[in-house]
Amino acid sequence: MSKKVDSYRYVGYFTRKLIKAWIARESPHEIPWTPLAKPLADSTVALVSTAAVALTSDRPFDQEGERRDPWWGDPSYRVIPNSATEREVSIYHLHVDPSHAEQDLNCAFPLARLQELARDGVVGESAPSHYSYMGYILRPRVLLEESTPAMIERMKAEQVDVVLLVPF
Amino acid sequence: MEAAGLTTVTLSSIPEFTSSVGAPRVAAIQYPQGRPFGQPGDADGQRNVLRAALGVLEQLDRPGGVVDLPFEWPEPPSQVRWHPPEQPPIAKLLKRKPWLYKKFVDGDIPD
Repeated sequence: MSKKVDSYRYVGYFTRKLIKAWIARESPHEIPWTPLAKPLADSTVALVSTAAVALTSDRPFDQEGERRDPWWGDPSYRVIPNSATEREVSIYHLHVDPSHAEQDLNCAFPLARLQELARDGVVGESAPSHYSYMGYILRPRVLLEESTPAMIERMKAEQVDVVLLVPF
Repeated sequence: MEAAGLTTVTLSSIPEFTSSVGAPRVAAIQYPQGRPFGQPGDADGQRNVLRAALGVLEQLDRPGGVVDLPFEWPEPPSQVRWHPPEQPPIAKLLKRKPWLYKKFVDGDIPD
């Protein structure tokens, strides 16, 4: 049995107070549930990161829009191919220091590690596509009604079984 | 995603928040923001965290479960830097107009 994780160990007083207030506003949810259909070793896995990772050749996340209206965050998403490395991507996040993940993408979006687990038979396969959006979204309508369904559709088309969601 | 037939797990360093919004399965990790899988260049460490986070899928059999992963960050909080080089736009705005802070906390977000 491991020690209980302290949710606030690395955040400051202000952020801690804010998160606690947001938690207090939540009411109990009906939690959706899909049981694991087959062993992990036979499952296809996709990653989703909120780090605002995009291929450098793709459209950047809109940071100027957020600078103009700090209540707004870019609600779009980007597809990142399985083979991407830190040399081919940029990180567009204004709330967390991107320098570690820029140095080694696997700190936040471990595509290389996932392929190793597939090679070692721990998981079935790494999906052909993975996904990222920018995690600071105060008005979530577009993210929930447009971006997420589009990600799901592509995951289904690529026979994804399991999704690992990773806040940045 | 889960309602659409995908099985999900969230690797979170703020598991209290992630659970409160109804995440089906949470792998909790006491790592700082920006490096949820570990330090740059530490491939073994990153792989261990990834394997443990995915392992949670085979450990939880009911909605809303949290598994605390046993990893420990090598630096004390005073030495950890995760804030961006430029202050986020919302922080700058609230510094200029502190009376808007209540809207931010209450989720009363201006259009």
